[in-house]
Amino acid sequence: MKRAVVLLSLVAFALLGVALGFAQAPAIENELYLITPVSKDVHDPMLKAFAAWAKKKYNVDVKTSAIPKGTPVAYGQILEWKGRPQADVFWGGEGTLFDALAAEGLLDQVQLPKAMWDAIPATIGKPVSLPLKDPKKFWVGTTLEPYGIIYQPKLLKRLGVEIKTWNDLLNPKLKDQIAQCTPDRSSSSHASYEVILQTYGWEKGWEWLTKLAANTGIFTARSRDVPSMVAKGEFAVGFAVPSYMAFAEVLGGYDVNFVYPKDAYVTPEPMAVLKGAPHAKAGQAFIEFCLSEEGQLLLSGLGVYPITPGLKVKGPAGSNQEKAVAFTGGMRSFFEAEIGNVYNDKIAGEKKRIEDVNSYFRKEIAEKHKDIVK
Amino acid sequence: MTTITATIAAPFRSKAGSGIHAGGLIGYGAIWAFMVLFLIYPLLHLFYDTFTTDAGEFTLLHFQDFFTDRYYLKALMNSLLLGVGTVITTSIIGITFAFLLLRYEFPGRGIFSYLSILPMIMPPLVGVMGFVFILGRAGTVNTLLMDYLGFSKPVNFMYGIQGVLLVETLHLFPLMTLSLVDAMGKISPSLDEAAESVGSRGLRKFWDITFPLTTPGYVSGALLVFIWTFADFATPLVVGVDDLLASQAYLNIVQFVDRRLFKMGIVISAIMVILAILFLIVAKKYVAIKDYSSLSYSVIERRKLSSAARVGVMLFLGLILILAFIPYLGIALDSFGKGWALTPFPVNYTLQYFERVAFETPKFIINSLLYAGISVLICIAVGVPLAWVGARTKLPGREFLDSMTTLILALPGTGIGIAYMRAFRDPLPYFDMAFIGMWIVIPVVLGVRRLPYTVRGTFASLQIVHKSFEEAGESVGATKMTTFKDITLPLIWKGVLVGSLYSFILALQEASATLLLVVPGHEMMTVGIFNFYIGGSVNEAAALGLILIVLGAVCLFVINRVAGTKMGGVFG
Repeated sequence: MKRAVVLLSLVAFALLGVALGFAQAPAIENELYLITPVSKDVHDPMLKAFAAWAKKKYNVDVKTSAIPKGTPVAYGQILEWKGRPQADVFWGGEGTLFDALAAEGLLDQVQLPKAMWDAIPATIGKPVSLPLKDPKKFWVGTTLEPYGIIYQPKLLKRLGVEIKTWNDLLNPKLKDQIAQCTPDRSSSSHASYEVILQTYGWEKGWEWLTKLAANTGIFTARSRDVPSMVAKGEFAVGFAVPSYMAFAEVLGGYDVNFVYPKDAYVTPEPMAVLKGAPHAKAGQAFIEFCLSEEGQLLLSGLGVYPITPGLKVKGPAGSNQEKAVAFTGGMRSFFEAEIGNVYNDKIAGEKKRIEDVNSYFRKEIAEKHKDIVK
Repeated sequence: MTTITATIAAPFRSKAGSGIHAGGLIGYGAIWAFMVLFLIYPLLHLFYDTFTTDAGEFTLLHFQDFFTDRYYLKALMNSLLLGVGTVITTSIIGITFAFLLLRYEFPGRGIFSYLSILPMIMPPLVGVMGFVFILGRAGTVNTLLMDYLGFSKPVNFMYGIQGVLLVETLHLFPLMTLSLVDAMGKISPSLDEAAESVGSRGLRKFWDITFPLTTPGYVSGALLVFIWTFADFATPLVVGVDDLLASQAYLNIVQFVDRRLFKMGIVISAIMVILAILFLIVAKKYVAIKDYSSLSYSVIERRKLSSAARVGVMLFLGLILILAFIPYLGIALDSFGKGWALTPFPVNYTLQYFERVAFETPKFIINSLLYAGISVLICIAVGVPLAWVGARTKLPGREFLDSMTTLILALPGTGIGIAYMRAFRDPLPYFDMAFIGMWIVIPVVLGVRRLPYTVRGTFASLQIVHKSFEEAGESVGATKMTTFKDITLPLIWKGVLVGSLYSFILALQEASATLLLVVPGHEMMTVGIFNFYIGGSVNEAAALGLILIVLGAVCLFVINRVAGTKMGGVFG
């Protein structure tokens, strides 16, 4: 009898210990790694704010870091990791590549409170609608911004050129003055090539893009180089630049302007947790943070727009929010007016189509660029 | 000190093959294991990947793909031409510098000789960024030309192959100068006198005597310049030049989407490695029959110059150095200047970029120092015994080890990086993690890449220490270990230190293999520079670059104090 009591109490203690252990185990891991084409201008403040948020909410000191890679490159890297990723969260670019990763079984489903998930509209844009989240929940959009045109006002004035539409880029006076990244290295470039191709059709579209190449002075290694070079004044105009990158140059003290041309691609900057991620819970928490009101407000001061119709970019006079609104032509939300879109992800997302666009570009534009310029 | 060429010519002249006991043999085995595991195996894996399909079957298709693709062939051609072009331009500057610094006396000679090595201290990417700030289309020079001299269009100094040539030339000519100073310093004055006694003077004497005698040094310098240019992908990418082999290897490898292109990236790096080996063999053949230099430095009598010639020399040296220091100016201005665009100099100045890279995220600096430090320990642990084996024993296989160390100098960093990526991607037993997923891979790859400098520094000092000193120690009963500690080490520590410092500086600056291998969360300064740059934070990149340059300059200053100017052999 005595022995049984001792034994029982031992078991009870053991159970209690286990239960306590569970209670004390931190809710999320203390590290978080992003792989992302979203540039430092945005991912850095977001990671810092997330660390503070996680400290408050979970009492965990999260060490964060980002691997900056262009979308296609990040996509390839994730494939190469084969389900043993060295990063937790993939953030940014075109939704189609996220769909492809989900099809390969390389993504975990996003776990969000239902209200948060439902607050994000399924699509945006007319006549073609662009998904803002994956119905199968493998990725979710986090913020909205257009891929447009950046220019150096002083240089454009000197050249005697004005830019309002895509076609203004073909002005012969801009010869050698345009900087762009290549569609196989950057998804902002790739998506904008698709916008042109889907506006004019395959043949006419490539004709247009060849003319653009004739005015192009440099194909940069990464899309983020484009706004840097324009800000510095090395080149007058940059093609297919995410608006927040242009805005980051303004915050950095440079004098640049941005044009949001008709039917420019609007990216929801998708986010997903990688399957087998070393810090999957921290990854899910990061997504929740980005979509929380706090996260969306922070984003709105960095030159991107809330993904939910309920929130508008607004701040005290002189705040970054107000500067951002002025910079993108007075718009406060993407849900205020009708957003034009011709980019069809069903067409653009086909694996063969992606390869066709990239290889056409390589064979007919990149490899012949010197002749095209002549 | 010796040069590669001296070693190529007479690999490890050993003086005695005395008995070595078991402990020594285990150590020797360990060196071999290190070289096999971290150099030979990854390279073999790279070749394996090149010659097999994804399913593992033997194929030559990838090579056929490469050699039937006009664009790749053009890239190969461009790379070869650029390499040769850089060798020519660096030769002109390097030979003139070496000649003037060594043979003539003029005011400021000492300062000039220190300053002429400095341009070498330039991390990849940082140099070209600095040039663009000053010579770019919106750089200081063009802004002045357009705003004050009425130019309607900027002069295109940078965007194109001419820009790459300019950057490489002004960065690499010190390698040529160092190799030549080393070689020329070893020419016995008696040969000079002999020539003069039969009436050979001036150019004639240079052509008949000096030039042939310095050829081995020259060839090794030229080979290094060639390979460096051949393997550099950061510089061309910044100025928009894609049709070079190194750029193609990098671009294809980092874009994994298209599997064919990815494979081509691997194939291109294998081809670069093969070419590097070929160049090395050719250089070795050529040099082997032409090494007449003696081992010791001779005392050179420097000539006084007429005052007109003195002014001319100083103007020439000054002008080249001003050009070579352009990137330092550009980097310094941009790291303090805020919103600098289209004005000759920044209008607003700030310390915020230094604050960000040095205080907010000190990890770049800490990691750099830590990893470069560990890599130097590896260099010493492997390199000093390796040099000792070469200089003092007749162990079988030591000549092969020597060839391997020489090969490392010629291997393009991109090639090694990709070889590691492919060879160490599977999870290690007991660790559940691949070797390339652990931060230790960085110090290891740095240690391997920078090993030759430690080996050469040590080997050269060992050659100067006569074997009889050690024998004297042993004759009175000291063990090999004690002899080494009490006699050899005090005599060679300078060589080891100089070699290790070179390994350290160059490990700090490495950014080709490490860029491909960096482990998330463990970024070093060079990776930070790259990430800041491609992340649009050019100012932060410049600030980090400036810190790295200062670190390098301090190391070089120490080397200069320890070794004087006679340190070219570590490179050659």
